[in-house]
Amino acid sequence: MPAITVDGLTKTYGQTLALDDLSFEVEEGEVFGFLGPNGAGKSTTINVLLDFVRPTAGRVEVLGLDAQTHSREIRSRTGVLPEGYRTYERLTARQHLEFAMDSKGVDDDPQRLLERVDLADAIDKKAGGYSKGMAQRLMLAMALVGEPELLILDEPSTGLDPNGAREMREIVRQESERGATVFFSSHIMEQVEAVCDRVGILREGEMVAVDSVAGLRESVSDGTVLRVTVDRLDDDAIEAVRSLPDVSEATVESEAPPTLAVRVDGSKTDVLSALENQGLEVRDFSTSEASLEEVFQSYTTEVGAR
Amino acid sequence: MSTESETETGTADRGTTAPSSSINLESVRAVAKKDFQDSVRSWLFWGLSLFFFTLLVATTGVVSYFGEDIAAQGATTDVLVGFVSEITRLIIPLIALILGWKAIAGERESGSIKILLSLPHSRKDVLLGKLIGRSAVLSLSLTIGFVLAAAVVAVLLGGFDVGDYVGLLAVSILYGIAYTSIAVSLSSLTRSTTIAGAAMFGVFILFYVVWNALTSVASLLAERGIPFFETISYTTEMQGQEVELERLPDWVYFVVNLDPGEAYGRTLTLVTDTDMIELQAQLNEEMFGGDLPFFLQDWFALLILVFWIVVPIAVALYRFDRVDL
Repeated sequence: MPAITVDGLTKTYGQTLALDDLSFEVEEGEVFGFLGPNGAGKSTTINVLLDFVRPTAGRVEVLGLDAQTHSREIRSRTGVLPEGYRTYERLTARQHLEFAMDSKGVDDDPQRLLERVDLADAIDKKAGGYSKGMAQRLMLAMALVGEPELLILDEPSTGLDPNGAREMREIVRQESERGATVFFSSHIMEQVEAVCDRVGILREGEMVAVDSVAGLRESVSDGTVLRVTVDRLDDDAIEAVRSLPDVSEATVESEAPPTLAVRVDGSKTDVLSALENQGLEVRDFSTSEASLEEVFQSYTTEVGAR
Repeated sequence: MSTESETETGTADRGTTAPSSSINLESVRAVAKKDFQDSVRSWLFWGLSLFFFTLLVATTGVVSYFGEDIAAQGATTDVLVGFVSEITRLIIPLIALILGWKAIAGERESGSIKILLSLPHSRKDVLLGKLIGRSAVLSLSLTIGFVLAAAVVAVLLGGFDVGDYVGLLAVSILYGIAYTSIAVSLSSLTRSTTIAGAAMFGVFILFYVVWNALTSVASLLAERGIPFFETISYTTEMQGQEVELERLPDWVYFVVNLDPGEAYGRTLTLVTDTDMIELQAQLNEEMFGGDLPFFLQDWFALLILVFWIVVPIAVALYRFDRVDL
């Protein structure tokens, strides 16, 4: 059973189309990165998952339950780090966590939770005096209360320094090992790369790609560039390489040493074999992958996506 | 126009799929407790308690200083209740509106409602929890003020009618909850605290100014013979003589009595036996030929107070379930 099923979800605000027939699934136990530029509809999607806003059309199920009619049960089994929240300034971190435990009817240890997010020394300080990063850590601790089956983290790195962002990813990894499904959104590709099993890229309310990070890289049109240094250049050999199904482009990059640059989406070995079959000697080769940022941009900018 | 009708049908469709909107008492309790902890700074709470304490003690001081003959008649608590209720009638709505105006709108504006609703609470739980939390602030500070002042009042006045005193406290709490219900409910209708604030001001104007002017306006209209405002004549005894007087039609009295403040005063006559207020009621009886219509009877005033608690929050419970946050 998928942890999250979104089927034909459309949401309009007045004349503005925020989500357009969005469909995707998040498998139980996986870490799913929900990626997209600001304003793509990530928060709207999460708001529908949590029943903060109601869909205009479509069906959403979380943990096998309808997101609208069973929202209370969904939220009792889910830990949420919302986006655009504000902490209760007159309550301490301990009181925040006690409220979460009270609300979920579970017992947990505020001290231990805050140690996990590195906020234990502020346990009895009122949240009104917290920095953005501290508030974010507190919210993450609240999401972890009661070992939820599903974690929904909306832009969890907001306000965190690089060190804090790394700690956050470490917690995501731990929670995933515990067996939790993690659904988290980000507008920065590199944050999802390290921890996500799969990534969905949202653009203007539509899912433009869902795949593993490696799969996404491969699916990008310019793919991987393979540089092969050979003993000599040969037109027939280049033609043979060009005729391979996975190769989109093959050019001579330099004459000395003779080097070919080959854009290839599939097997690199095929390229090397083709060259050797033409009697060329492969002396060296290297690959350079499309950078993640390029992958992301190719999906989220108008020109690159087509 | 077309978009509007689309929204309408959209709402209707959602209505049939019934959002998960049950009320869970544990959730309500958790929200109320959190709200009580978070909504008031402790100095505000103790400040309010001190205010009510001072109000009672000061009024008692005045009564005992100037009212020796009142004391001789054994009506001191009566007089105290009469005076204090005139002040609390004006003050309690203000406090309740100020305590409640940001209850929901403030959380929506700042986004902290996302913390509340990320946890397994329904929106109804949140509304009821807020109403209880904010009502508790006012009710507890009233109670603390009254309890602390009780000893001083007893000593200063010599005599002390526990029934009247507790009655005043109880009806004041009810009155406070009514205005808190109005405030919290209005606060849930908008996500802008500016609009919520304007709504509170509107309530204030409505019941302090507009409602107070109703009788005069109705009289003016009656003088001009506007239909539905025709006066009704009745006879009464004044200094031993039968006099024919005119009064406004029944429905004007009905509308005037819908004011929570009016209901507060009349409910007090129900639970206390304060002569000052009851004198007023007798006058009214004569106007209606000896028998007060049901809506001018004291039990109905209690109903009106309950109405002002139940109806606003009921409307809010219905509507808040159906909006996007």
